[in-house]
Amino acid sequence: MKSALSKKMIFAALGLPALGLGADITNHLASPQVLSIVPDREQFEAVRPAEEVGSRAFYFTRAIYTGYRRGFYGSWSIDYPKADRQFLIGLRRLTNIDAYELENPIRLDDPDIRRFPFLYALEVGYMSLSEAEVVGLREYLQAGGFLVIDDFWGSYEWSNFESEIGRVLPGYAIVKLPLDHPVLRTFYDITELVQVPNVRQGMMGGPTWERDGYEPALLGIFDEKGRLMVVINWNTDLGDAWEWAENPFYPLKFSNFAYQMGVNLVIYAMSH
Amino acid sequence: MSSFFESVFEFLFKYRPLVFEKGRLAFTTPWPVFVVFLALALVVLLALISYGRARSGNRRDIVIFSSLRVGALALLLFSLSRPALLVPTVVPQRNFLGILIDDSRSMGISDQDERPRSDFVYQSFGSADSVLYAALAERFMLRFYGFSGRAERIDGVSDLRFAGGRTDLAAALDRARRDLAAVPVAGLVVLTDGADNSDASLTESLLALNANSIPVYAVGLGRERYDRDIEINRVETPRTVLLGSSLVVDLTVRQRGYKGETVQVTVEEGARIIAAQDVRLPADGESAVVRVHFDAEEPGPRIYRFSIAPQPGERVTKNNSQEVLIVVEDRREKILYFEGEPRFELKFIRRAVSDDENLQVVSLQRTAENKFYRLDVDDAEELAGGFPRTREELFRYRGLILGSVEASFFTHDQLRMIEEFVGQRGGGVLFLGGRRSFAEGGYDGTPVAAVMPVVLESPEAIGGRRGRGEEPFFAELKVEPTRFGLNHPATQIGATVEESGRLWAELPRVSSVNPIYEVKPGASTLLSGRAEGSTDEHIVLAYQRYGRGKALALPIQDSWIWQMHADVPLDDMTHETLWRQLLRWLVAYVPDPVVAEAASDLANPGEPVPLTAEVQDETYLKVNNAEVVAHVSGPAGETYDLPMEWALEEDGEYQASVTGDAEGLYEIRVEAHKEGEFLGEHTTYFQATELTTEYFDSEMRSELLKRIADETGGRFYTARTVRSLPEDVSFTESGTTVIEERDLWDMPIILLLVLALIATEWGYRRYRGLV
Repeated sequence: MKSALSKKMIFAALGLPALGLGADITNHLASPQVLSIVPDREQFEAVRPAEEVGSRAFYFTRAIYTGYRRGFYGSWSIDYPKADRQFLIGLRRLTNIDAYELENPIRLDDPDIRRFPFLYALEVGYMSLSEAEVVGLREYLQAGGFLVIDDFWGSYEWSNFESEIGRVLPGYAIVKLPLDHPVLRTFYDITELVQVPNVRQGMMGGPTWERDGYEPALLGIFDEKGRLMVVINWNTDLGDAWEWAENPFYPLKFSNFAYQMGVNLVIYAMSH
Repeated sequence: MSSFFESVFEFLFKYRPLVFEKGRLAFTTPWPVFVVFLALALVVLLALISYGRARSGNRRDIVIFSSLRVGALALLLFSLSRPALLVPTVVPQRNFLGILIDDSRSMGISDQDERPRSDFVYQSFGSADSVLYAALAERFMLRFYGFSGRAERIDGVSDLRFAGGRTDLAAALDRARRDLAAVPVAGLVVLTDGADNSDASLTESLLALNANSIPVYAVGLGRERYDRDIEINRVETPRTVLLGSSLVVDLTVRQRGYKGETVQVTVEEGARIIAAQDVRLPADGESAVVRVHFDAEEPGPRIYRFSIAPQPGERVTKNNSQEVLIVVEDRREKILYFEGEPRFELKFIRRAVSDDENLQVVSLQRTAENKFYRLDVDDAEELAGGFPRTREELFRYRGLILGSVEASFFTHDQLRMIEEFVGQRGGGVLFLGGRRSFAEGGYDGTPVAAVMPVVLESPEAIGGRRGRGEEPFFAELKVEPTRFGLNHPATQIGATVEESGRLWAELPRVSSVNPIYEVKPGASTLLSGRAEGSTDEHIVLAYQRYGRGKALALPIQDSWIWQMHADVPLDDMTHETLWRQLLRWLVAYVPDPVVAEAASDLANPGEPVPLTAEVQDETYLKVNNAEVVAHVSGPAGETYDLPMEWALEEDGEYQASVTGDAEGLYEIRVEAHKEGEFLGEHTTYFQATELTTEYFDSEMRSELLKRIADETGGRFYTARTVRSLPEDVSFTESGTTVIEERDLWDMPIILLLVLALIATEWGYRRYRGLV
């Protein structure tokens, strides 16, 4: 396994300056503390469930992690919170899950994360976990938590994610999930993987791929007993489809697939 | 003491108390009774007149002198009236006397003056010259019986072997009574230690003896209390367990003479010690309950031996161990888990029991209206139509877990099926908490509510809360086991009770949306919970037997917190252990359509073992006209078939009797067919072995023997008091008797009293200076 620092250096040199994040990276390399753009816990108390945690069967829980700045708070917050809320509307309508209606972001190093066995993280190409987050996520997964990864593209971002998840789950293989895997059968029968593009390309009818992420992939990490812990949606952006599903110009094909996939993942997470 | 009293009594009254008990007082004077009374009155009058003229004139002296003199004269008059006892007495050699001698192994225990109890039998009846034998034979025609598990007529004590594996007093008394029914019987003499170890009730036998006026004279042999002895007198184990189950077995250890000492109880399986537990012995005569844990690791019928090493000076050592036969079943118990909505509880329950090869949790999860997701089904057909709609389909499972699913989801027939699943089929049902469970799920008033072990909140109360705009109930509960739960195999999550209590105290809070505070009468609470700052005690796990099955209520909705919570260490197995134990308990003892059972797991070679089979069809309705055959396989590989007959008094019950002639394990596979259709089969076992039953509770049971004697009009004796038995038996009203007249006028007590009265009068005169 390559060291995390070397990964970040490559990442900074090749990928991020083009995205306007060069200054952040420079700062990060000089002082990793500066780029730990995880919001304070208090900042998110306001959006955490107002009612008592645990009274509902399901909370769409988004991982707040340290990463390079993208979005308002950081890369973890892309599409936040609209995608979460819109997905929950769909989830509640399509299934009978007693799901909390609003978003539920939580830091990886927050012990409370263990009260939410479903976790969604995206833009993991920009993830740069602190040691506490690594431990927090590892223990979350080992205890029985289920992580869904979404919206990261191409080999550079893959490389970063692979490095970070390698820190969390050292020695665990990332394997491709076949099309007959139960995760594609829990609610909807999904027979093909649709590449869901970002909203701009989706509505404009442009290419569905980004960078060198031409083919969508569904991958997973299993624990030593063969239980699926992590599902990785690579080269696809379910979150954008949830976020813009109400837009009449957003193609139904993509939003349909994203919702179907999302529902299947949640049902799988709640039964396996 | 009593024999001393009897000797004194006999000295004073000429006869033993029994003669007075049996006899009737009569006056044999030729004078009429009124003449006697007249004479008595005259004597009293003369005495009063003569003392009334006494010189002293002191009124008190007159009263005392008159009384003493009247008393003395009255006694003389009593003697002159020739009082006598009329006692019914047997006519010599006209009556039979049954001599029943205990032929069981416990008669070999050397506690009769440090010699075997059987020695007394030889001494008393060994030859025609033996004192007891001679005295009885002089008066009666003797008929001997030897008894242990059953009674047999014998010619004499030389036929006894003292090797019987059981003692059945009731059978012995019945046999002798029936055998002597056609002849005049003076009574039965039973020589035994009274250590009856049969299941038979004596009451019927004693009533029959009473009805036939046959007194029983019981001679108790052996000591009533051993000075030093340790005994494992009770081992409570299930007859069948699932492979891999943790067994919690309670033993009762009783002792005398070793108070406060610590001994070790070991559990052996074959030549292997699989568990050991130290026990500090209680006070003399008291019992200590020892709890031993071990795992059933090998499938098949297994003999487990529980023992305590013999201690120095022990009177009987064969009662230091007990063996039990437990069938360890390597089967997959199928449980249907129906969840009305996706919940993490399903995921974590499946996860908790996934490593348990003996549990198959088939899950049916309603993911949307009329949309179901099936997991771990055997084939594509299973549960394809959702929740079972027929009894055949539902009764295939042995356990049922109902999650958060409202009552209105089910048809009325399905609700009845669930009720019958427990009550009639004998399955186990577990009701989980949730927003659609219990009262919140509208179960009040449905057939399923009757099955639930908890009292549901009334619909009016729920409606009232909603009407007031209150939030639905929600509480986070700190769970703790009740006293019952702390010791229960399902909820004891630690190796010991103490560790279990500590583990429960460390577990984080879980939540409930079902306010349940009360269990039904007869139900038991295993776990309870309290919300922070509240004194209300919530029911967290309750249990009751319902019909043939059992019902559990677990009105919490997220037991998975005990697996996921940050306060629970990653390697903590509490959640897994709890769910494995809970589900194994849920399906424990759930019957198959055909259930065969040998009356005892262990039997003496040659002893018949009653076999019963309960036969039902796939809907668990009893079948009376089935062809039921028991295929018996012996230890040497011999096999034979034994047809089983319908027991007319019980629907669906068939009976037979199996005898294991050779020592070893007998397998009995019972198969049932009806009109050629296979209904089911079940296998049971018993081990033929020389039992040590006779050495348990083997102290002489005087209370039991006294009861037999008292209730039949006989007497109880020990080896020291048996001397008077021949004479006592003679005073019987049974058989052919005559009335014997025994004079009482010459009783020493009369003379002594007269002398005492005269001496007192004389002494009083001296004292008063009147002589």
